[in-house]
Amino acid sequence: MGIPSSQQVLEALSTIQDPDLGRDVVSLGMIKELDVSPAGRVSFTFELTTPACPVRDRFKSQAEDAVGALGGVTGVEVRMTANVRPAFMRPKPSEILPGVKQTIAVASGKGGVGKSTVAVNLAAALSKSGAAVGLLDADIYGPSVPVMTGSRRMPQQSNGHLLPIEAHGMKLMSFGHLNPGDEPTIYRGPMVGKAIEAMMVQVDWGRLDYLVIDLPPGTGDASLTLAQVVPLTGVAIVCTPQDVATDIAVKALQMFRRLNVTPLGLIENMSWYVCPSCGHRHEIFSHGGAESAAKRLGVPFLGAIPLEEGIREDADSGTPVVISRPESAGAKAFVEIASQVAARTSIQSFRQLPVINVH
Amino acid sequence: MTVTWENGAHSTYTGEQLRWACPCAECRGEAGAPGRLSRVKSLNDDELKIRDVTLVGQYALQIAFESGHATGIYTFSLLRSLVQ
Repeated sequence: MGIPSSQQVLEALSTIQDPDLGRDVVSLGMIKELDVSPAGRVSFTFELTTPACPVRDRFKSQAEDAVGALGGVTGVEVRMTANVRPAFMRPKPSEILPGVKQTIAVASGKGGVGKSTVAVNLAAALSKSGAAVGLLDADIYGPSVPVMTGSRRMPQQSNGHLLPIEAHGMKLMSFGHLNPGDEPTIYRGPMVGKAIEAMMVQVDWGRLDYLVIDLPPGTGDASLTLAQVVPLTGVAIVCTPQDVATDIAVKALQMFRRLNVTPLGLIENMSWYVCPSCGHRHEIFSHGGAESAAKRLGVPFLGAIPLEEGIREDADSGTPVVISRPESAGAKAFVEIASQVAARTSIQSFRQLPVINVH
Repeated sequence: MTVTWENGAHSTYTGEQLRWACPCAECRGEAGAPGRLSRVKSLNDDELKIRDVTLVGQYALQIAFESGHATGIYTFSLLRSLVQ
């Protein structure tokens, strides 16, 4: 029996479906550098759309099995890589953030549900998976990112641009870096919009796979500015399980829908608490509220995060829990949610925004 | 102006049609006060000619006319309703 042709190998691989993109991996252009040696050794690169791919291991074994089952194959070498594709099949990069492939907003509507904690850990988890990640703290009045990342320093300037602060492998920018200490920022609405725009335009973000944007609470100036100045890939909504929080989260989600920003899904924070003395699981803020709200609204439920002292301690001491205690239940929940977010984000790479021609 | 929508469908608009549909507060009026478009009978040529169109986020277009008028944010749903 002879060795299989490249075409036969591709046909075998085209039986593998990407569950999120709903197409086979060959037509999605994920198989590259295919080589079949005269001795029947098949090697190729399997290029995922995100390094945080939730089905990475499954794809690898499916690819090995599909190719290994072909007659004449003596060995299979699959090189797994990832290349984040830009959101929306844009003919040219966005003018406002030219080097940024995907922009992910984290919003909640209601305050105090842990938006910043989620944003910081989501960014850290994406960065740990191997992606180039930036985190923009768009909360002008209550910036939390500098403390949570232990990055309370003034940004440097270069060629009239501000350089983002680098910490934990991420690029960060917050109004708390620019206006540190106890001094409040006392701004009216239009100034908030300008400040957020400036943090996008005047900061040299460089090349990023993901820019995570931590939004302030509310459905007003900050969210509206953001939805107007950048083509957001999507928005992840954080809420706690009780009705008073999910009700407001739903408002935030509907606002983004109104602005044609895709909801990536709902995240339930402070979902349960395991008491360290009695070992019992307590559901202080109720449980499952976000999941049922997601179902009702027809958006994905991205996962639940426990209430853990460690998450709070590490946030106060400036290291995201996904980095400081990767084995904790909280960190694992964040990593899982990050890969769900990344998968949902990848879908947006295959969408096309309306094209306008004036003649 | 022609828009090719996400699903591949096309919609075509004239500058005149879009100018008279301008949704901004000055044209539509606000707080019970009538807007400019309900007060005037006709518009000059430079008010009807499109100079530039920019995408606003991913939900609307901002259309600038030769007269300098550019305060209207035309949402995609408004634009779709104009051709129905």
